[in-house]
Amino acid sequence: MDLITKERDRLLQRTARVYGLSFTVVSLLCLVLPGAVSTTALLVSLPLFVLIGIAQFRMGISRSGLWVAVTLVAGLGILVFATTIGDRPSQAGFAALVELTAASMAASALVLTSTAPRIAALIVSFLVTGTALLVLTSELQWPLRTAGVYVLGWVLPALVAIWISAGVPQVAKRINSIGRAHRAERQASELEAQRRQGARLLHDTVLATLTLLAHSGVGVSPEALRQQAGDDARLLRQLRMGGNPTPTAENVGTETSPVQVVDETVLGTTLESVKQRFGRMGLEVSWHGTGQVLLPSQTLDAFLLALAECLENVRRHSGVTQAHVTITDDDTKVRALVTDAGVGFNIADIDEAKLGFTESVVARLRDVGGNARLFSAPGSGTTVVLEVPRGEPGA
Amino acid sequence: MTFSAPEENTLGVVVGNARRAVGKTARRIGRASAHRASLGTAFLGLGAAILVGLRAIYGVSWFVALWGVYPQPLAAAAAWIVLGAVIVGAIVTSRVIGDRLPDWMFGLFLTGLLVAVALDVIAVWPLHDIGRNATAALAAGMTLLVVVTLRGRSEILIAAGVLGLGLAICMFLDAPALPDITVDWIAPQITAIASAVLPVVIGVTIVDSFRRMVQVELDRVLVQSTVSAPRYAVGMLASEELARLDLTAEELLESIAGSKTPLPLAPKMASVAASLATELRLHLIEGRRETWLYHAVSESEMLGKAVTLADKSSLAGLLDPIQRDGLLAAAWLLVGDTITSNANRTVSIQVGPVVPGEIPVPDHKILIPITITTTGVARNRVDPSIWDALGRVGKYSDLTQDSSLRVDITCFVDNPADV
Repeated sequence: MDLITKERDRLLQRTARVYGLSFTVVSLLCLVLPGAVSTTALLVSLPLFVLIGIAQFRMGISRSGLWVAVTLVAGLGILVFATTIGDRPSQAGFAALVELTAASMAASALVLTSTAPRIAALIVSFLVTGTALLVLTSELQWPLRTAGVYVLGWVLPALVAIWISAGVPQVAKRINSIGRAHRAERQASELEAQRRQGARLLHDTVLATLTLLAHSGVGVSPEALRQQAGDDARLLRQLRMGGNPTPTAENVGTETSPVQVVDETVLGTTLESVKQRFGRMGLEVSWHGTGQVLLPSQTLDAFLLALAECLENVRRHSGVTQAHVTITDDDTKVRALVTDAGVGFNIADIDEAKLGFTESVVARLRDVGGNARLFSAPGSGTTVVLEVPRGEPGA
Repeated sequence: MTFSAPEENTLGVVVGNARRAVGKTARRIGRASAHRASLGTAFLGLGAAILVGLRAIYGVSWFVALWGVYPQPLAAAAAWIVLGAVIVGAIVTSRVIGDRLPDWMFGLFLTGLLVAVALDVIAVWPLHDIGRNATAALAAGMTLLVVVTLRGRSEILIAAGVLGLGLAICMFLDAPALPDITVDWIAPQITAIASAVLPVVIGVTIVDSFRRMVQVELDRVLVQSTVSAPRYAVGMLASEELARLDLTAEELLESIAGSKTPLPLAPKMASVAASLATELRLHLIEGRRETWLYHAVSESEMLGKAVTLADKSSLAGLLDPIQRDGLLAAAWLLVGDTITSNANRTVSIQVGPVVPGEIPVPDHKILIPITITTTGVARNRVDPSIWDALGRVGKYSDLTQDSSLRVDITCFVDNPADV
């Protein structure tokens, strides 16, 4: 069964419980008034009232028709006992019986409109209870007047149930359309997150700048830092506007039109931006060799990240302010040699993982089918060789 | 653009604190709840208005029938005119306004009801039998139903309670001399008060349950969208956070570029930049992606409260949409049985670990054992449709452990290595 149908049934059951129980209490209050019915009839009726109370309470939880049946049978029992045992009921006793049959028992109609068998049960209960009421109380009040109240008492909850049942599909429809919209929103947000996560090169330079700022920007000239911050903010704005920007030295003027997504990017322009970035941080990078190599963007990303990582190591650990990058390429590979004349170190002494070399450089390059090698000795500088394939990764 | 410090640290979500994520969803839902609470209640309000109209017609016919016995029929007529105006005014206003009645209008509405009740009580006072003779005063109670979808439940219930109490006090003050107070006088007073107050109580119950139904259903439908999510997903919350971090970084950088923030940075700003960098770094790690089940549990108000998830190897991501749907429905049925007020119901779902070699596994498949353990869920109290839902996940066996249900499912999924 549909989950919302289940929820609807629960709603009707809860309503039937509150409806039934409250009128059962009203009926009981009238019945226990002294002289409403004969004492014997009252004593016989009290357990039945308890039974009705229990059944109506259970009706709020259970979908079973048993509790409806218990309510109706116990109610009919009270009706019969109160009118036949001892003296005739007074007006108060009659009021109690009307509250019982036309309101408390009628509350069962709320849970008897959902299926055809239940509707049949509703009609039978309505007719049986009504006939019993009219026959047994014909001497207390003009039967037509009793019948009017009785019919109203049963039609009302039935109509309420039908009205609610009619409202539920409408709501279900609207909820489902909200659900569909939400699914689309989820997919879109997933794509958006992937796009942002995919802009690795951009985030790399942003993170580098943020790291500088985390040290209050000490050691870097304020002008250079301002310019770098401005460049990065512009890139982030382009990302926000839906572009797929790549940091280049020439992204001035692209502000209005987001950088187009290209499959291949010229290496030279991006190398220039790396050089500028390190220049601002106090490491002079000298460029040698070819600058016009086209690389697939994924490979380029990895290559530049690895290169920047190596230069960062030079800046931090070498003790010199100059580094040389030599780019060479042949038919299959592009190679970069990062060399410095700094303090160097004994490779065996230094845990590679500690340098972050394996993780940040080697892993990135291997992702795209490349490799990296490290050469160094104390006092004679360091050289790193980075290699990436020219073609598509894996090709 | 000036930089303002981030409102909150996002790392709480990063380390998988589902409760914070739940709180966030709850806040978001809370923001939208004004709209959501009204979903479908306009239709209910229309039904209530029709009922009130019918009740008024019934009351007016009694009033006409009793015209001869009234000592001051004009006061009763005035009561009906006021009440009629209030009913028509309230129905028209509620149709126009739609969502919520402003305080002053609600005050006006209550004042109108008070005037109608007072006039009617004055009209029948000399008869010393308010229960049998009052008409407009009793219909006034049910009139509260016109605004039942437009005001809070407590306001309506208090108004109904005050009306019932006021009527009871009037009846007591207006009681005839002692020998005339018989049970046949008391009974009509009781039924009169009941007929004025109980319809309101029932109406409030219906609207309340209806709203809860809509809320539960919405929660379920929103979470249902995780079924079609990829194997690993960032999730709605994290992707929002990433966008926000990017924006915060942009604002910070821009304010530095525009010389609005002096360099070198003040230590406070520097630490903001540091934490921003850390959070951004964490958000950019691909491994931070979680499975659909994690997102379903953390985004749902209902599941988040009761379900704990143990899925170390993120195996839930391998389930196909039908299996996911079944598992989600089962969790929902175990938790969502809101009718039982059993608050200490908990469900914990353990996915994996994969143990090779126990059961023959078809080609290109892996066996993922899923164990659902519960507390406070009796085997015979479980909704029967749960078995159908579990059947969609895989072959299951159920047993009772610590007087609560435990289900073991053997679930076959496509081997990701073969795809």
